[in-house]
Amino acid sequence: MISDLRAAGAPADIAGDVCVVGTGPAGLTLAIELAGKGRRVVLLEAGGEGYEADTQELCKGAVKSGGHIDIADSRLRQFGGTSGHWTGLCAPLDPVDFEPRSGSPHHGWPIRRADLDPFYLRAQSYLDLGPSRYGWTDLVSVGAPLPLDPARVETVIHQQSPPTRYAEKFLETARAAAKIDCWLHANLVDLTLADGSDRVENVTVATLDGVRTRVTAKAFVIACGAIENARILLNARSQRPAGIGNEHGVVGRYFTDHMTILTSLVLLNEGVDAKIYCEPFSVDGANLELALRLHPDVIKREGLNNNHAFLNARYDDALYSDDFRNYGWTSFAAMLKAFSHGRAPDRLAERYCDVMDDVGGVTTGVYRHVMRRFRPPDQPRAFAFRQDAEQAPNPDSRVTLAEEKDRLGLNRATLDWRIAADDFLKLRRTHELIGAAIGAAGLGRIRLEIPEKPEPGLAYSGYHHMGTTRMHADPTKGVVDADCRVHSVKNLYMAGSSVFTTGGASHPTLTIVALAIRLADHLAATA
Amino acid sequence: MALTRRLLLGSAGVAALGAAIYGGSRAACSFVPRNHPDFFSLLDIVPDDAAARRLGRLAIEAGLAPDGLSALGEKLAEGPLVRAAIAEPCPTTRAELLRDGCAADFAQNRFVTLDGWVLSETEATLCAAKLLAGAA
Ligand SMILES: Cc1cc2nc3c(=O)[nH]c(=O)nc-3n(C[C@H](O)[C@H](O)[C@H](O)COP(=O)(O)OP(=O)(O)OC[C@H]3O[C@@H](n4cnc5c(N)ncnc54)[C@H](O)[C@@H]3O)c2cc1C
Repeated sequence: MISDLRAAGAPADIAGDVCVVGTGPAGLTLAIELAGKGRRVVLLEAGGEGYEADTQELCKGAVKSGGHIDIADSRLRQFGGTSGHWTGLCAPLDPVDFEPRSGSPHHGWPIRRADLDPFYLRAQSYLDLGPSRYGWTDLVSVGAPLPLDPARVETVIHQQSPPTRYAEKFLETARAAAKIDCWLHANLVDLTLADGSDRVENVTVATLDGVRTRVTAKAFVIACGAIENARILLNARSQRPAGIGNEHGVVGRYFTDHMTILTSLVLLNEGVDAKIYCEPFSVDGANLELALRLHPDVIKREGLNNNHAFLNARYDDALYSDDFRNYGWTSFAAMLKAFSHGRAPDRLAERYCDVMDDVGGVTTGVYRHVMRRFRPPDQPRAFAFRQDAEQAPNPDSRVTLAEEKDRLGLNRATLDWRIAADDFLKLRRTHELIGAAIGAAGLGRIRLEIPEKPEPGLAYSGYHHMGTTRMHADPTKGVVDADCRVHSVKNLYMAGSSVFTTGGASHPTLTIVALAIRLADHLAATA
Repeated sequence: MALTRRLLLGSAGVAALGAAIYGGSRAACSFVPRNHPDFFSLLDIVPDDAAARRLGRLAIEAGLAPDGLSALGEKLAEGPLVRAAIAEPCPTTRAELLRDGCAADFAQNRFVTLDGWVLSETEATLCAAKLLAGAA
C-alpha cells in the first residue's frame, strides 16, 4: 500500500515490525524481501512518485574536492531513488576486495565474498540481469579472448541491466503489497533512542509543508544513499552529541567513489582481434561486457588498488567518436526510449531543455549513429582504458555537516572527496603491468597517460558514493558490524553502499541489492 | 703480351695462393675476438625517427641503458633470443627472434617505462644504440 503523508488525515503515529527508510535499490529490495517473509514493513520515502524540484533541492550541499563530483543532481530523491539515473553496469565485488591488503591499512571487510555469493545470485532478478554469468569461461565461443598469461591478467565479466528503474518496476508491487505500508513525502528528520538505552524507539518523519509523524518498529534500517545515510546520523544529535553511531567519529569518514578515467593508449599489433572487449554480447539472455584486471596475487603482491579496465576503441575517423555524448544526448536517448515504449519520459521538460541546449551535439550524435550503419569501422588497433578505479580507503575523505540548514531544519552535507596521488600512481602501475602482459604475449604495447605527478582533476566521480558508515569488526574503524547493524545501537541498521568497507572495482548496485537481501534474511530471523 | 703457357700457370698459382691465404685468414680470424659491436644488423629494425632517438636519449639519461656502444652490445647479447637474432643472417627470422626476445623480456619483468611507453629492456637498449650509432 502506498500513501502520501501530505494527504489530509495522515496519522500521527505509524507502526510496523521493521521501518525501512528510502526506496532506492537498497530500501525497496529490503522491503519486498521482508514483506515476502511476512514482516510488516513501514517504508518511508522522502520524495513522491516522480521528480519534484522542492524535494530534490534537499540534496544540495557543499563540495570540496580537487576531483569532479556532484552532490545535488547525482542523487534522486523520489520513489525508486537514484535507480532513475543509473546506467546499469553490474558485477559482484572480487574475492580480493574483501581481504586485507598489505601496505593499505584500511582494506579488508569483516565478511568474505563467499558470504555474499548466494545473495548475489538472488540479486540478479531484481536488476533484470538474466542468469549469473560472471564466471562464464567459454569466451572462445563468441570470439577471440586476448591470449594473456592468466597468472598476470584475467578477463573479467560484467553484466548489463536494461537498466532497471525501481520506480517503474516496483511501484505497483509496493502498492499491492499488503505487508508494505509505504509513505511518500516522508522525510526522516530524527531518530529517538529509548531513554537510557541503546535502542531506537521511534523515528520522526516530516513533510516539507510541516506534517510530522512518528514511526515505531522493532528494527530500523536507513537506506538513503551514502551521503544521506551519514548526514542523517550526524544530524541526530539530540541524545548523542556527535550524532548517533558516531561515538568514535567514524560516521561520514572513508567516503570513497570510483575514479572514472579514460586514459592510456593501448596499441595492438596488426591482426590482433580485440572485438569481444569492445562490444557487449549476449549469452543465455545475459548481456556481457569484458574488461581486463590484474590477477589477485599481483594486486596483493604489489599492494595495488583493484581495477577493471575496459577497452574503448580509438578511431581516427570522427564518425566513431562518441564526443557528442553529453546531457543533451543522454536526455535525447531517454526520451527516444520512453516514446518508443509508448510512454512519456519522466522529467520531460528538463530533458527537452537539455536537448535544446545541445542541439548541435544531439544532431551530430544522430548523424553518426545513422552513418555508422552504412560505414562499418575498420578493426580498431588503438584503445584507451576506461575504468571506474578503486581508491584506497581514506579517513580524511568525508561527509560532514555544513552550517547551512535545509527547509526541514537539518544541516546540509559537505562532501570532501579526497583523491590521493597514490591512487593514481597505483592505477598507473596497474596499467604498466597490463602493458607488460600485453608485451609478453606479443600483442602490442601500451603508453601510460597518467603522469608521474598526477592532479586530482584527472578523476571524475563514478557517482558511486560509498564508505560513509563502513562495515568493520572494530567500532573505532567502522560504523556497522558484519550484519550492517550500527555498533552502538541494538536495532539500527544501515543499507546501501555506505556500508562498503572498500569500493573495489565493480559498480556498487548489485552488491547493494545482495547486501539488502542478506539483511532482510537477518532481520526476518531476528526482528 | 702473348698468352703463354707459363703465364697461365703463374696466374693460376697466384689465384690459388690468394684463395688459400683468404680462406686460412677467415678460418683463423674466427678465433680472434672482435672489439666492435656486432649487433648493427639489429639496428635496421629500429625506426630511424625522432621518437626512437628520444626514447634512446631518455633510456641513457635515466641510466636504463649504458652509455656506450660496446656496453650496449654486451647488454643486448645477454638474452639468448637476441643473441640468436644478432647471429641470424635472414632479416625476417632476425626480426622474429628479436620480437620473441622482447616478449621474453616482458615475461621476465625486464621492462622499462620511457615517456609513458612500457617497453622491453631490449627495445630501450636498441633505441639507445641507434642513437649512439647515428651520432658515431
Ligand atoms: C548517472 C549515474 C549512473 C550510475 N550508473 C551505475 C551503474 O552503471 N552501475 C551501478 O551499479 N551503479 C550505478 N549508479 C549508482 C546507483 O544509482 C546507486 O548505487 C544506487 O541507486 C544506490 O541505491 P540506494 O538505494 O542505496 O540509494 P538511492 O538509490 O540513492 O536511494 C535512496 C533513497 O532514499 C530516499 N531518501 C533520501 N533521504 C531520505 C530521507 N531523509 N528520508 C526518507 N527518504 C530519503 C531517496 O529519495 C531515495 O529514494 C549510477 C548513479 C548515477 C547517478
